[in-house]
Amino acid sequence: MNISWIEKNTFHYSEFSDLHRLVDEKQRKNLKISLCLPTLNEEKTIAKEILIMKSELMTRYPILDEIVVVDSGSTDKTREIASAYGADVFEAEKILPHLEKFKGKGENLWKALYITKGDIIVYLDADIKNIHHRFAYALLGPLILYDNIKYVKAFYDRPIAIGKNKIRPTGGGRVTELVIRPLFSLFFPELTQILQPLSGEYAGYRELFEAIPFPIGYGIETSMILDIYEKWGLDVIAQVDLDKRIHRNRDTRALGRMSFAILQTFINRKKKLGLVDYKEKLYNEMIQFNLVKNKFKPDIYEIKGHERPPMIEIPAYQEKFKKPDDLTPHHENIVEATL
Amino acid sequence: MDGYLDKLPGFVDTIRSMKETIITNIVLIGQVPAPTFNEKRRTSVFMERLAEFQVDECTTDGYRNPIGIIKGTRESKPPIFVVAHLDTIFGKDVDHYYTIQENSITGVGIMDNSVGVGVLVSLPEIFRKLNLSFESDIVLAGVIQSLGKGNLRGIRHLLKTWATPIRGAVCIESAELGRLNYYADGMIRCEVDCNISTADGWEHKFKPNAILVLNEVINQILKLRLPQKPRSRVIIGKISGGYKHGTIAYDATLGFEIQSNSDKMVKSIFNSIKDIIEGTSHEYEVDLKLKTLSNIHAAKLTFNHPLVKKTVAVMKKLDLTPVSGPSESELSILLSRNIPAVTLGITHGDNYHQPNATVEIEPIFKGIAQIIGVIMAIDSGVCDEHQLD
Repeated sequence: MNISWIEKNTFHYSEFSDLHRLVDEKQRKNLKISLCLPTLNEEKTIAKEILIMKSELMTRYPILDEIVVVDSGSTDKTREIASAYGADVFEAEKILPHLEKFKGKGENLWKALYITKGDIIVYLDADIKNIHHRFAYALLGPLILYDNIKYVKAFYDRPIAIGKNKIRPTGGGRVTELVIRPLFSLFFPELTQILQPLSGEYAGYRELFEAIPFPIGYGIETSMILDIYEKWGLDVIAQVDLDKRIHRNRDTRALGRMSFAILQTFINRKKKLGLVDYKEKLYNEMIQFNLVKNKFKPDIYEIKGHERPPMIEIPAYQEKFKKPDDLTPHHENIVEATL
Repeated sequence: MDGYLDKLPGFVDTIRSMKETIITNIVLIGQVPAPTFNEKRRTSVFMERLAEFQVDECTTDGYRNPIGIIKGTRESKPPIFVVAHLDTIFGKDVDHYYTIQENSITGVGIMDNSVGVGVLVSLPEIFRKLNLSFESDIVLAGVIQSLGKGNLRGIRHLLKTWATPIRGAVCIESAELGRLNYYADGMIRCEVDCNISTADGWEHKFKPNAILVLNEVINQILKLRLPQKPRSRVIIGKISGGYKHGTIAYDATLGFEIQSNSDKMVKSIFNSIKDIIEGTSHEYEVDLKLKTLSNIHAAKLTFNHPLVKKTVAVMKKLDLTPVSGPSESELSILLSRNIPAVTLGITHGDNYHQPNATVEIEPIFKGIAQIIGVIMAIDSGVCDEHQLD
C-alpha cells in the first residue's frame, strides 16, 4: 500500500493559526464560507459553539459568512438558544418540505446544502464540550490555501467525559477501530490512512457535497468518504489534527446501532460499485436483547438506510443555485479537473 | 474633570455589543484548569489571548505572572495596575467545560475567578472599541499562586520586583457586582496537623483519636473571648482526617484563619491558639504541629480617600449600591505597599465554589463599565498625592 498520502495530506491545526493569511486568501479567491451545526437537543453546548465561532471567525476575523443551525426537532431549548446567540436556525423538516420527511444527522447536512450560501461548507457536531475556533479554521486552512484539496476531515486525541465532572484521558473511536478500520483494510487499504473516518467535523467545497448522495443517519461519514474517494480520488482529501475533542460517551448498545448503520451503508456502496453480490436481501433491523424479569426480550431497532440523492439532482436546488451566465452545474468543473 | 462619569452609562451598550468576544475570553481561559501552583497552562492561554488583542507588551515577570502592558500617553505618569488572580481551588482532573445558556454561564471556577480573568484579557479590545486612551500605562496582571497555600505569592513577587512607583490599582473578582473592598484585615492562616504514633501497635485500647483531639482544640478556640473592638474573629474553615468508619483516626488536619483589623490582636489571638495547641499536645500526648500558611497585615484606605469616594460615585452613576467589607486578597498586598487600590466584582451568581457555579451574563457589562470608570478616575489623578493611613 502506498502511504504517501498520509505524509502529504495530513496537517496540524497550528499550521493554519495565522488567521490574517486565511482571511487574505479567502478574499483573494472571493470565497463564501458557511458553518453548519446539525442539532438534536444540544442546549448544553450549542451556545458556546456559536458564540466562540462568531466572536473569533466572524467579528474578529471575517472567515465565516454565516452560521446555520439545522435542527431535527429538538424538544429542549436548542433552537431558542441558537437563535438568541445569532445563528440562522432552521428546522430540517421545513426545508424542501415537499420531499418525503426523514430524521437524522445526514438529512440535516444534506438540507443544509439548500439553505447555506457558501462555496465551502464546514460541518461541526454540536456536542463538542471543548469547542475552540481551531475546529473550524483548521478544517478551512487546507481548503483555502491548497488548490488541490476539496475535502478535509478532522482527527483527534479523544478523551471522554465520564460524568461526575471527571475526564478520562483515553478512549473513544471504538466503532472506528472495530468496524471501519477492518472494513477499509479489507476493501480499500488506502483509506486506512484516514485516521478517524467517523469524526463528525469536516469541511469541503459545495461542488463535492452537492454531487454525492447523503444517507440520512449514521452512515453519512462513511458514505461521504467512499463517494469522494470513488469520484475524485484520495488526493482531494486532507486530514487535520485538531488536538483534543471532548464529547459525550455513548453506551455500547448505541454504538452497536451506529455500527449497523455504517455496515449497511458500506455494503450498499460495495453493491452499487458491483464489487460484491449478495444472493439474499439484507435485513434492516438491529436486534439487541434485554433481560427483563428473568426473560430475554429483543429490543428491535429499525434502521432503514434511506439515502438522499445528490442535491444537484433536486430541481429546487438547481433553480436556487443556477448561475445566470453559466447553466452548467459547477461541480462538473471539479470532476473534470481531478479525474 | 469628572466628565467621564457621564459617559459610563453609555459605555454599557458598547460593551454589551462585544458580548461574544468577552464571553469567549471567559470560556477559553476559564476552561483551562489552574489549581494553585499548577497555573502554567492557563498562563499560556492568558498570554495567547492577550497577544491576540495586541497589547503593547506581553510578557511574564520573574515569577511567571503573565502581564500585558498598554502604553500610556505620558511617560511621566506611573502605571495603573489591573489585577485578577488566575488560580482556582479545583484540581486538574475536574471537568472545567462550561455551559452557556441564554442568560448564564455555568461551570467550575466561573465565580472565582474566570469572569474576572476573561474580562481582564478583554480590556484592551474594549478600550479600543470605546476609543479610550490613558496617560498612565495600564498593566494587566493575571497573578498566580493567590489562593490558600499560594499565600498571594504571585502579587507579592510582582510588586516586590516592579521597579517603578504604581499610581493605583483595581483588583477584579468575578462576583459579586456591587462589592467595594478598600480595606484588608490582618490575617494569619494556619493549619494544625495531629498525628498519633502507630509505633505502639494499633490494638492499644485507649489510643487517642486525632479527630477528637482536634475537636478539643476547636472547643478551646471557641472558648476564647474575642473583642468586638478591634473587630476580630477566628474562622474554622477546613477539617479532614481518618481512614474509615470503624478505625480510630491516626491523623487529622484543621485549617483556620484569624482575622482582625488590628495586627496586634491577630498576633495576640495567634499566641493564645498556640498555647491551646501546646497544652492539648501535652495533655493528650500527641504530636500537634501548628503551621502558618499565610500572614497578611491590616491595611486600609479611609472611606473618604478620593479613590474610594470616586469609586462610589462611579458605582452610583451605574445604579450600583456599594457594599463594603474586608478582603484578604491581592488588595491586602497592594494596600500594605501603600498603593491605593480597590477590589470590585463583575457580576452576580450562585453556587460560588461548587462545580455548578453559575454567573449571570447581563450584569457583566455594567461590571466592566464600573472597572473602566475607576481606571479613568485613577488616570485623572484621584490617587496622586494621597497617602494611605
